Amino acid sequence: MAGEIPPGPPSMGQESIPFWRDGRVLGVLAQIAFVIGFIIVAGWFVSNILNNISSLGSSQFICQDGGFSYRCAFDFMEADAQFDISETPIDYDPSDSYWRALGVGALNTVKVTVLGIIFATILGTLVGIARLSPNWLVSRIALWYVDLLRNTPLVLQLIFLYFSVLLGLPQIDSAIQPLGLPMFISQRGVNLPSFEFMPSFAILMAFIILGIIQAQVLWVILGRQEELTGKESNRLTWAIISFIVVIGIGWIVSSNETNQAVLTPASMRIREFDDFEQIVLNRLDVNQLNDIASDLEEGLITQDQVDEAALKICVLRDAPSETNFTSQLRRADIPYEVKRTTRQDQSTSSFIEGDCEAYVGPTAVIAAERDAMDNIIAATPEDDVVNGGAATMLQLTENPIRLSIPRIEGFNFVGGWKMTAEFTAILLGLILNTAASIAEIVRAGIQSVSKGQTEAARALGLSESQRLRLVILPQALKVIIPPQTSQYLNLAKNSSLALAVAYPDFWNLGNTTINQSGRSIQIILLVMVFYLSISLSVSGVLNWYNRRNQLQER
Amino acid sequence: MAEAKTLKTTGDNVIVCNEVQKWYGNYHALRGVSMSVRSGEVIVILGPSGSGKSTFIRTLNRLEEHQGGDIIVDGITLSHDVRNIAEIRREVGMVFQQFNLFPHLTVLENITLAPIHVRKWSRERAEEVAMKWLTRVGIPEQADKYPGQLSGGQQQRVAIARTLTMEPKILLFDEPTSALDPEMIKEVLDVMRDLANSGYTILAVTHEMGFARTVADRIIFMDAGQIVEENTPDNFFHNPKEERTKKFLNQILNH
Ligand SMILES: Nc1ncnc2c1ncn2[C@@H]1O[C@H](COP(=O)(O)OP(=O)(O)O)[C@@H](O)[C@H]1O
Ligand SMILES: [Mg+2]
Repeated sequence: MAGEIPPGPPSMGQESIPFWRDGRVLGVLAQIAFVIGFIIVAGWFVSNILNNISSLGSSQFICQDGGFSYRCAFDFMEADAQFDISETPIDYDPSDSYWRALGVGALNTVKVTVLGIIFATILGTLVGIARLSPNWLVSRIALWYVDLLRNTPLVLQLIFLYFSVLLGLPQIDSAIQPLGLPMFISQRGVNLPSFEFMPSFAILMAFIILGIIQAQVLWVILGRQEELTGKESNRLTWAIISFIVVIGIGWIVSSNETNQAVLTPASMRIREFDDFEQIVLNRLDVNQLNDIASDLEEGLITQDQVDEAALKICVLRDAPSETNFTSQLRRADIPYEVKRTTRQDQSTSSFIEGDCEAYVGPTAVIAAERDAMDNIIAATPEDDVVNGGAATMLQLTENPIRLSIPRIEGFNFVGGWKMTAEFTAILLGLILNTAASIAEIVRAGIQSVSKGQTEAARALGLSESQRLRLVILPQALKVIIPPQTSQYLNLAKNSSLALAVAYPDFWNLGNTTINQSGRSIQIILLVMVFYLSISLSVSGVLNWYNRRNQLQER
Repeated sequence: MAEAKTLKTTGDNVIVCNEVQKWYGNYHALRGVSMSVRSGEVIVILGPSGSGKSTFIRTLNRLEEHQGGDIIVDGITLSHDVRNIAEIRREVGMVFQQFNLFPHLTVLENITLAPIHVRKWSRERAEEVAMKWLTRVGIPEQADKYPGQLSGGQQQRVAIARTLTMEPKILLFDEPTSALDPEMIKEVLDVMRDLANSGYTILAVTHEMGFARTVADRIIFMDAGQIVEENTPDNFFHNPKEERTKKFLNQILNH
């Protein structure tokens, strides 16, 4: 009998099951029901949107010629935005288009998102590690931090930071200078020293690359020699020394490059820096003068006279040369008055109109300006030429990198890196809030690595930081990255809460644009596309990183 | 007793323990353990589960902190001084029951990690020494695989090679064969036997009585956090001094 059993699985006797209890039939039915439901809901949405669009169409999609068409949906974006933006990473003026205004918003969002992600990761990782610290106080503080930040709404944290903390700070004239460091904290936000990179930095950069290459070559050559002779040479020291020497040469070479220039009308006959002083002295009209400060003291001239005679300089906004030139003027006790211009073309016109006697900017820009000016002057009727004709250029040399230290001038901060109160609030809020979640992810990731790994690392003599860096974190990362990705996406999307603290991000300016132009559909569409592309880029980068990381195992 | 103590501090002792105490919370895990190991000696530690064998050998490289008594390893007294701890860990290698290989690194990377970062060897030198040891434990062809792709016996041999590449003076084994399938135990024991014959100082916790009988110079029997008996293998198995030892031997030999 046993031999007659056919090979293969025995029959289940399916005929005997009624279809409403047959799992396969139920599966198919469920799918069909889902598809029908989806089509109904999606169809309702789409028809609703199409209806609304067509009823709004006459007011939204207006063309230049007065008609309306979908093709003209974004035509309004070419118009002048007409609103001011408090923070502009690129040149912006209310007379610019909505496109440019939203571009500024996009850059502001990207700026706060990128910085937020970087610092939230650093802080979150530290707090996550601190949570596991054997030190009771450290782990407790980390726990309180995480609990507090994760259990209160982000908007509340932002509003608290902005209104209670940042706006509670002193006015600009009594700005706090912590420990006397060259930085200011006030209602205006935080002003930090920054580095300014001159055009000649490109030359220095070439030397840096050269230095890295030759240090590597030296490292390899010394290594070979070590193996041949069997004697330990200090090859790390030698590689570093040679690298520093190359950078030093690069610094000297690039410091001789002219990075910036001062453009003046030919009538001023500027050939060297001292000429500026002569011009002011002439204007003060006191013949034997050579020291303005002491003459002021002796009452030979009045402060008003000096102010009147001050050199009028136009500075291209944030031109690195500004601080160099003005500091030279200050050192030489030459009175001056600065007018900052945001646009090159504004400078040129101010110059032609005689508002500026000296125009300061990078060499290349100045050279282009001079050509432009020569052309304008050549095309102007003789009588209309102000200041007597073509311009002269005074070139100043400067180091390829310089430290720009913030200082108070009038009621503004000049130089350094400015973080407005609004930017500080949204950035700090996003960092503190996201770091709390990241800390928990990092802690869980580290705890997912077995204790045996720590013991093996210790038994092999690895230091605690080597253990974390080489053994624990690489393994924990596999667990950490997927939830980390969604934290980064949260941060990017939460940055739209910037509205609460009046930081001009994409969503904030998008809102302004809607209010002003009434074109809600188009702007909402742009907002969706914008945040979607940020999210896709963030998760794209992390997925790529995770895949690369996964490949290391098996 | 006084005589024993002077013996324990003579010059050729690489490990000296004196009245070592260890508590886990309220639980007294080591109750005054005193012993010493001469250079090149092979010692097998036996004892019932929970008797403190692992705890004891883990205090020797300070994976566990002891709370009383002294431990002197290779002339260095173990204390909270992190420099001393680092120095001792460089001279003392340890092989674990669960292998504890780093799963994200290849076999070769597992072995060269510590020599490069702790001993500051060049990669070439570390790889050369690593390959020498992989050959010695019989699996040079596995160098580029990941631990997860190897059998248990192979993994444990990699772990041994990883420990030996650091060129330690003293080797600690904590039940190195307990997580292995029976047919793989022999390949690991063969490696350990080979090491014992080449002059390493070895402290091994194991339940392999054959290994203890044939390889050990001395057997230490622990129970309830104390050393109950120290004896030569011959005397230990055939002529034990203590009642507790006889009971233990009866249990394991007659099951
Ligand atoms: N980390 C720990 N925390 C609390 N008790 C522990 C810990 N490690 C070991 N013990 C206890 O210490 C005793 C000795 O353990 P162990 O040294 O692992 O014994 P053995 O290795 O001889 O089996 C056991 O009772 C065990 O429960
Ligand atoms: Mg044990």
